[in-house]
Amino acid sequence: MPDALTVKNAALDIEALSVAYPSRGGWLQALDNVSLAIPPGGVLGLVGESGSGKSTVVLALLGLLGPAARISAQRLNFDGHDLLREAPMLRGRRIGVVFQDTAAALNPALTIGSQLTEPMRLHLGIEPRLAWERGTDLLAELGVPRPAHVMRSYAHQLSGGMKQRVGIATALAGEPDLLLLDEPTTALDVTIEAQILSLLDDLRVRRSLSMLLVSHNLGIVDRLCDSVSVLYAGRMAESGTTRAVLHRPRHPYTKGLLAALPRPDRPHAGRLAPIPGGLPDLTKSDPGCNFRSRCAFSAAGCEQPQALRGVVHQVSCHRVDDVADESWPVEAEPPANSIAPRARLPLLQAESLSIRFGGGGWISRMLGKSAGVLAVDHVSLSIRTGEVVGLVGESGCGKSTLGRLMLRLLPARTGTLNFGGGAVEPEASRDFRRRAQIVFQNSDTSLNPRQTVGTILGRAVRWFDMATGAAVAAEVDRLLDLVRLPRSYATRYPHQLSGGEKQRVGIARALASRPEFLVCDEAVSALDVSVQAAVLNLLRDLRDELGVAYLFISHDIGVIAHIADRVAVMYQGTIVEEGPVDDVLHPPYHPYTELLLSSVPLIGRERRDSPAPSTGAVAASQGCKFAARCARKLGPVCDTLAPPVQQAGPDHAIRCHIPLSELAAVPHWLGPPA
Amino acid sequence: MPIAVFLLQRLAGLVGVLLGMSLLIFGIIHILPGNVAYAILGEFATPAAVAQLEVKLGLKDPLPLQYWHWLDAMLHGNFGQSIVMNRPAAALIGEALGRSALLAGFAFALVAMGGIALGLYAATHRGQASDKVLTLAQFVLIAVPEFFWAIVGVLFFASWLNLLPATGYAPMSEGIGSWAAHLVLPVMVLSFGLVAHVSRLTRSSMIEVLDSRYVLAARARGFAEQRVLWRHALPNALLPAITVLAIDAGLLIGGIVVVETVFAYPGLGRLLVFAIERHDLPLLQVGMMVVTAIYAVANFIAEVLYAVLNPRIRVGGAAA
Amino acid sequence: MSVLAIPRLHFPSTLVLGATLLALIVTAAIVGIWVTPYDPTVFAVRFRLQAPSLLHPFGTDEFGRDVLSRILAGAHLSLATGFGAMAISLVVGVPLGLIAAFHRGAVQEVIMRAVDLLIALPPVLLGLLVLAVTPPGLFKTIAAVGLVYVPILVRLTRAVALGLLEEDFVQAARARGEGALPILWHEILPNAWPPIIVECGLRVTFAILLGSALSFLGLGPQPPASEWGLMIAEGRDFLTQAPWVCLAPGLSLCVLLVSVNLVGEGLRERLDPHLRGRAHA
Repeated sequence: MPDALTVKNAALDIEALSVAYPSRGGWLQALDNVSLAIPPGGVLGLVGESGSGKSTVVLALLGLLGPAARISAQRLNFDGHDLLREAPMLRGRRIGVVFQDTAAALNPALTIGSQLTEPMRLHLGIEPRLAWERGTDLLAELGVPRPAHVMRSYAHQLSGGMKQRVGIATALAGEPDLLLLDEPTTALDVTIEAQILSLLDDLRVRRSLSMLLVSHNLGIVDRLCDSVSVLYAGRMAESGTTRAVLHRPRHPYTKGLLAALPRPDRPHAGRLAPIPGGLPDLTKSDPGCNFRSRCAFSAAGCEQPQALRGVVHQVSCHRVDDVADESWPVEAEPPANSIAPRARLPLLQAESLSIRFGGGGWISRMLGKSAGVLAVDHVSLSIRTGEVVGLVGESGCGKSTLGRLMLRLLPARTGTLNFGGGAVEPEASRDFRRRAQIVFQNSDTSLNPRQTVGTILGRAVRWFDMATGAAVAAEVDRLLDLVRLPRSYATRYPHQLSGGEKQRVGIARALASRPEFLVCDEAVSALDVSVQAAVLNLLRDLRDELGVAYLFISHDIGVIAHIADRVAVMYQGTIVEEGPVDDVLHPPYHPYTELLLSSVPLIGRERRDSPAPSTGAVAASQGCKFAARCARKLGPVCDTLAPPVQQAGPDHAIRCHIPLSELAAVPHWLGPPA
Repeated sequence: MPIAVFLLQRLAGLVGVLLGMSLLIFGIIHILPGNVAYAILGEFATPAAVAQLEVKLGLKDPLPLQYWHWLDAMLHGNFGQSIVMNRPAAALIGEALGRSALLAGFAFALVAMGGIALGLYAATHRGQASDKVLTLAQFVLIAVPEFFWAIVGVLFFASWLNLLPATGYAPMSEGIGSWAAHLVLPVMVLSFGLVAHVSRLTRSSMIEVLDSRYVLAARARGFAEQRVLWRHALPNALLPAITVLAIDAGLLIGGIVVVETVFAYPGLGRLLVFAIERHDLPLLQVGMMVVTAIYAVANFIAEVLYAVLNPRIRVGGAAA
Repeated sequence: MSVLAIPRLHFPSTLVLGATLLALIVTAAIVGIWVTPYDPTVFAVRFRLQAPSLLHPFGTDEFGRDVLSRILAGAHLSLATGFGAMAISLVVGVPLGLIAAFHRGAVQEVIMRAVDLLIALPPVLLGLLVLAVTPPGLFKTIAAVGLVYVPILVRLTRAVALGLLEEDFVQAARARGEGALPILWHEILPNAWPPIIVECGLRVTFAILLGSALSFLGLGPQPPASEWGLMIAEGRDFLTQAPWVCLAPGLSLCVLLVSVNLVGEGLRERLDPHLRGRAHA
């Protein structure tokens, strides 16, 4: 494995890069003294949470920071060229870039083919006809089906995964030596992400590319990179080989990040270790360690400037040796006052719920073209008191819709809902509304921006007659206490809160009516890892304190494994597997569960390719919906006959035609059970 | 066939709007307080004269029947008779329409080209002195009424400099110089505010495109700035300009009414004002109908053009 | 960016400048209803068409009336047209837009098709049509201009409300079982008014323009009222001899329109999240 930091003639060599932007509060120091190096053919991961300045590095390398930015560097070299001056000549030719949001990065008015061949024609001087052929070949090389057809298509006609492949193709069209990847898989589903990562790994070898992978996701960095640099609030915290940094982290921040990460291979691993506080104000210059206010190990000397110490594994912390064997402290477990854990009675039963979406305009309806899509297809699911049921699946599988159906927020086409022994009618009663509530994903849109936290909570309290008059304020205080927010926050507006704080307010609002059941719809997905850990801990504590049952909807298997007692795996509107967490995460699995688990980028997992799925064809109307993508499809029976429910264990059901014995004879993708 | 469905929908919409419009125009004229016959004959007309006129105009029939007669006649090409001038409305409107079309055509071309060009210039020179001057100019130009420009123009070019005729229209047969000279001021006056409007909206749509991810991506692919602007940004920025121009076609029609009145230009706008002043309701009805039909067709064309130029509508659906 | 972001709390200079100018004009207009240097309606044919002087800063018109006095006496008419029309379209348009957003189905169809129809009429023509049949007057002009902007406000209000109805905080209220009215009052309206106010601010300019154009065509307040558009129309015959009769009300109208435009633009800078996001880009 080449070592980035000892290689002398690095392909990319950044020394002391600083970037500042003008902002209303003064100059905002986005990058402060950042040094990176990538050897020819090397892959460096640049890791950091939002606001760390990692995307600024990419724009600085391309010379695209815009005229307002103030940029300085001792060295900003690529293969002997000074990027400060020559970036406009090198970008697109020797340096290619893939952006996070490819949907936005592809021009909606131009065909894929014209965007793809443009760099070939302009930079490589290839004549149009030949360029078109080479573009088609390039798409084929990147695993795009029907490349000739895609060349003539527009961006809006492609799926997310295809767009990202096209995005990579346009970056490769100028035949670069260095590929900059800015969160290349963040917007993608985990199975697509795995495919893109294998593709990138492949390309790197085939084309001897150097890569800079910018990501917040430690798993994909571990999967792809030789070396890693960790960025915190514009400064380097730690850098070294991937193995060293991610497996023996030395900087407190890296330790904290890893401790905060919920991992699917360690279900119910107790409490996570969040990092308290938030990013420092980058408009104020601070010569000392900028992490010290959040650091669990801060001591005298932290206010002094910190230099990167070490040769191969560099750390900018003066206490690195003192804390070498310490791990990031876990929050103290609250006093156990949980209700008797196994006295769980059925609380909510959904029986055969479905809903149909779509329809189009009146002309399409007249032409009989739109029957719509069954977004949820006769799903049954039950939840017991105080139980956390995880609902996992890729985007568009209908998991959020199912969550809303179970709250009667959407009109179901078929099926019944029972709650606490009584049927819930389509027009849900006030009592049901009080007892079943919801927490949303996007904390920015889930709070009314024109109401204070006190008003938001107070409205819910009053509406459900939990308190009246002066007692409302006391009840609001109680709710704020419950979600560990200072009572003074009652007077704040949502925009004065951080993402994690807003999410706590959202949880408090849902708890105002003292419900017995909460739907948590991707409730932690928009949060940075360090903040997510704290909210996950809070939700677990609340479950224990209040005995609330959750339907916990998430695309993140790590989160589900961490918090759920039982898991339901959803695919295209149906639940394909359901059972206790430990059973679902280990064989026998449903082939789709297996695909998901094998696709999760796990820190420390050997690189092993997932069972090759065929790419998304349309599901058969009868039969198994997953058949079209299934790597282990038996034959026509999968397409024509609805799969039977097989009991793999007590409470563990798999909907599949493949016999259980065969489903069990597959690798343990998350490692052997504990 | 998404584009076929789209066209069908829009065409149905166009027919619906025209029908609704005829109903609206007819309704406003016949239902609003104020007796039509009195309106024509004046307040001091004798009841007998009024009754006679009412019979002549078919005003004694039930309203739906009157409406049907009117609509049916129009569909058969019979646009009725101007009461005041005692001539077929179709001929009057035809002559006036040609002259107005001349005015509108020149003005619209000026607005489209000038507005878009200035908007693009301002967007690509964002924050520079020239952009600020243009923004300020647009700001003032939008707020100044056409008839004020008209009197300033007449005062300056006709009265003081004696360069251009103050009012009127000269047919081509009187020489192309005179014909053109009579058009210059009305066209200029008509265009000023609209150029400002179009350029302001073009500027903001171009700026939005320039700030987009795909323009950043095009720059990151190392293309020259000119190429990024013309090939990657411009097509996307021009699309909203079509919608803006359609809106401005409506404003232009309003402007024409005012400008033709100021310059005593014998076009459709002036004919409408004449019909109102003289209570020539049959003429007014048909005139209004023609103008709104032109506007509706212009909007229809804009929508179709937008759809044809926008791959999202033109191609639709998923390919892979 | 969503329409929800809270505006930052500072007043842009455009708003201050525009509001100051507008306040001066409004004051002059209110005072001008009762107090003017000369009687704006009394003829003094002896002093007809006098050039601007110390006695008559803006000169006199063809009947010897002081132009400045007439401008002051007529100022409230343009203001009333602009703001009155806007108020009408607000009062009619916003509720209709909200109803269309809340009631999918037949009610919405009827409202929106009517809106499509009204929007398909060029603005001046709609005014002409309304004023053609009945004798013109100030209130009819205001109503006609207001009618022109009703469909625009219906569409805007509906679009804003539909967007807000999708927001999670509205879903949260629905999850509590709240009905349409409390959701409308507590969740939708507080967030819907900024874009509506911004639109109105920008539209007032056009409303005044349209009103003065109708007056200019003789379809507004009738003589001897000194509506500025009407004054310009009356002065046209003496344009060469006595340009001040036209120019003075014309320039007054321009100053009024620019200051209203400044206020509208200032409101937009302050309330429009799209603009604020772009300020630093």
